[in-house]
Amino acid sequence: MEQSLVYLAAALMMGLSAIGAAVGIGMLGGKFLEGAARQPELVPLLRSQFFIVMGLVDAVPMIGVGLGMYLLFAV
Amino acid sequence: MGKRGQKQGIHSQVTRKKIFRIFLIQAAIAVFVSGGLLLIDIVTAYSTLLGAALYLIPNLYFANRALKSRPGQSPNTALVELYASEIWKMGISIVAFAAVFILVEPLSPFSLFVTFILMQISGWIAQMNLNNRFLKL
Repeated sequence: MEQSLVYLAAALMMGLSAIGAAVGIGMLGGKFLEGAARQPELVPLLRSQFFIVMGLVDAVPMIGVGLGMYLLFAV
Repeated sequence: MGKRGQKQGIHSQVTRKKIFRIFLIQAAIAVFVSGGLLLIDIVTAYSTLLGAALYLIPNLYFANRALKSRPGQSPNTALVELYASEIWKMGISIVAFAAVFILVEPLSPFSLFVTFILMQISGWIAQMNLNNRFLKL
């Protein structure tokens, strides 16, 4: 029973992280294409900005995935 | 190759170089702190080093692939490449975390996660200071 609760916690942690990351990165990609369609000459700049903001968006899900892996394999 | 393509290549190369410099500084700090912790406890020291490696390896792959110079690339292709590199980064992270938790025994999870989170936060701050134009838009 306790072990199943641990697996459930890991699944929730990783699943909710994945939802957050998917929404954030999806919005980011949409805005990137919008910006590129408006001003195609800004694509190189937008690409660097996209890289930086993607690092911000996926940091918390990465921590969630790490903790989930810890629960799965080490607890 | 057009003038626009050349400019795009140069911009990516400059950003890539700056990002790699940040990673190098972060790695140097992690090795230094880990060396200091070696005097106290060896498990804490290598857990700290592993936490830093778990952050640095996927991010190095992501930066290397996402900011590779491809002059004249269309926005759609650039976006596909960025998404593909992000998916690979997540995959590498998951495999690396699983490998560490299965193979490394004993491990200090507290120092591993604290180092990992501190590396993420220092990465945010350094990258935002590096290029904060998006904050002024």
